[in-house]
Amino acid sequence: MSANLNNTAVNDTPLDGSPDGATLAETIAVNLARSFADGEVGFTGLVTGGAAALFGTSIPLAAMSLAQAMHAPNLTILLAGWSHNPDLGSLSVMPDSEFDSVLRDLPCDAQMLTYPGPWAIKRGDIDFGFSSGVQVDAVGSINSVCIGDPAKPKVRLVGPILQPEHMTLFGREYVMMPHHARRNFVEKVDYVSGVGYPGGLEGRRRLGLNHGGPEWVVTPKCVFDFDKEAGRIRVKSVHRASDRMDLAEHTGFAVDARNAPLTAAPTKDELDLLRRHVDPNGILLGRRTARSL
Amino acid sequence: MTNKTSKVGSIADAVALIPDGTRLAIGGFAIYQHPMAVVRALIRAGRRDLTIVGTVNGNEVDLLVGAGCVKRVETSYVGLEKYGLAPNFRRAVEEGRVEVVDYPEVLSFDRFRASQENFTFWPCDYLGGTDVLARNPDIKPFTCPATGRTLHAVPPADPEVVVLHAIAADERGNVILPQRHLLPQGLDVIMARGCDTVIVTVEKIVPQSMIRRHAAQVQIPSYKTTLVVEAPWGAHPTALLGRYATDDAHFRDYVAASASADGFAAYLDRYVHGPADHQAYLDAVGAGRLGSLTEFDTL
Repeated sequence: MSANLNNTAVNDTPLDGSPDGATLAETIAVNLARSFADGEVGFTGLVTGGAAALFGTSIPLAAMSLAQAMHAPNLTILLAGWSHNPDLGSLSVMPDSEFDSVLRDLPCDAQMLTYPGPWAIKRGDIDFGFSSGVQVDAVGSINSVCIGDPAKPKVRLVGPILQPEHMTLFGREYVMMPHHARRNFVEKVDYVSGVGYPGGLEGRRRLGLNHGGPEWVVTPKCVFDFDKEAGRIRVKSVHRASDRMDLAEHTGFAVDARNAPLTAAPTKDELDLLRRHVDPNGILLGRRTARSL
Repeated sequence: MTNKTSKVGSIADAVALIPDGTRLAIGGFAIYQHPMAVVRALIRAGRRDLTIVGTVNGNEVDLLVGAGCVKRVETSYVGLEKYGLAPNFRRAVEEGRVEVVDYPEVLSFDRFRASQENFTFWPCDYLGGTDVLARNPDIKPFTCPATGRTLHAVPPADPEVVVLHAIAADERGNVILPQRHLLPQGLDVIMARGCDTVIVTVEKIVPQSMIRRHAAQVQIPSYKTTLVVEAPWGAHPTALLGRYATDDAHFRDYVAASASADGFAAYLDRYVHGPADHQAYLDAVGAGRLGSLTEFDTL
């Protein structure tokens, strides 16, 4: 299950200065793909609606599929947690429902029919996952439950869903944030539904958590990672040179992006695989020019 | 020779098994395959102070909460997936009219496994640092006798009544799972196995001979079933997976109406209080609409 977030237009314009006109979505997908190892199992939910679906589901699927084509043929994709290695290239429309016919009838390797099912989540079967939230904070905790005092919230959202499990039982977590605004990146989340690194790795150990945690937080402006010992989020890279200057203005916790490197650009080979093999119809990454390449 | 007992009853019989204050688990998942005919009947009957214990909930909880039937909800999710937040649930929580106890999704499944095993708690080792733990006095720390680690004892789901919707059963309450099924139906079975009062509405009550030809698919056998009720299209507007699709237009109308309390009241008048019973509800929806939802996952 996934939080339903606000929609914005899909970013399908090339990043400035990008060789081969890679879009932001493609650039993020390639960087994610490079971080996956062969043999890993990656879990993504089915998020719906515009940018939320792009960041929460489509980019992760494209990234995992690209990794399979590049260097990780034995990586397993778990779509909506239940469809193993779905045939994404045959999609003519993006599934927008966990159990309707589009996803149900999509050819795949294995299906989860009940719980407990194929994956033993508490044994660490899932190496990495993707989640999202309306808030992420300076220690990497995330929130999909409410805005304001949980006892009488200003806005009630959907609930913790699978976030507590994502942030502890999975090997590592990629937090995918479809919007980058001060209200989404706060010093302290209003409700901790998925826990980051309060007190660093030692802090997690004191909480009884010896496994997992957020690895990256990916936004339309930057990629964050963590000083895991200190338990503090930091800027890993920015997507555009202009993001160095205005990141702090759009972020509710202290960040210093002035000297941040640019997010690594895709190679021509990676882009070719992504466009011709992974997403030939532009279903995942919304690249309307895909067919004409 | 004595005859075997029929468990067939009416929706009114189902409602009578769910008095005010019942701790109730409702089958289905998110916006899929809920026993909506019973949900609407509970609202018509003016039920109050229900506690809904669930896993992943959707429009069924939104409807009951909006209609004022619910005191407390224990679950991991209340939302309408691609149709957005659950509008009436959201309004009620923000106005302090319903208590919500948030559980992680897999743990919410495990709470029903605990009930099936008759455990007094389910052990969990991954709640540290969350508000799930900090805000729930029913979850208690304990020391693992084997390792010395601090774990958390999570209360079982322990519903007093389970109600769910399935494709078919016989008069004795042997309930068939479709050969092709997915997580929502799997969770229904776990729910049913952990409760002493199980109400199953079905599209069709079928002869025992048909059950016996499909015995491998009977995952809720007669002795687990308290009451079986024939309710064709009983999951509408949610899907009965593999038999009929989600009524997309109905969901969109529901969300639009629910933008205001008045709009939701008008929805209730049209689809819940107006129709006297399930048959009248189906007439209000219309045969053309219902027919258009038919689908086949297998032939």
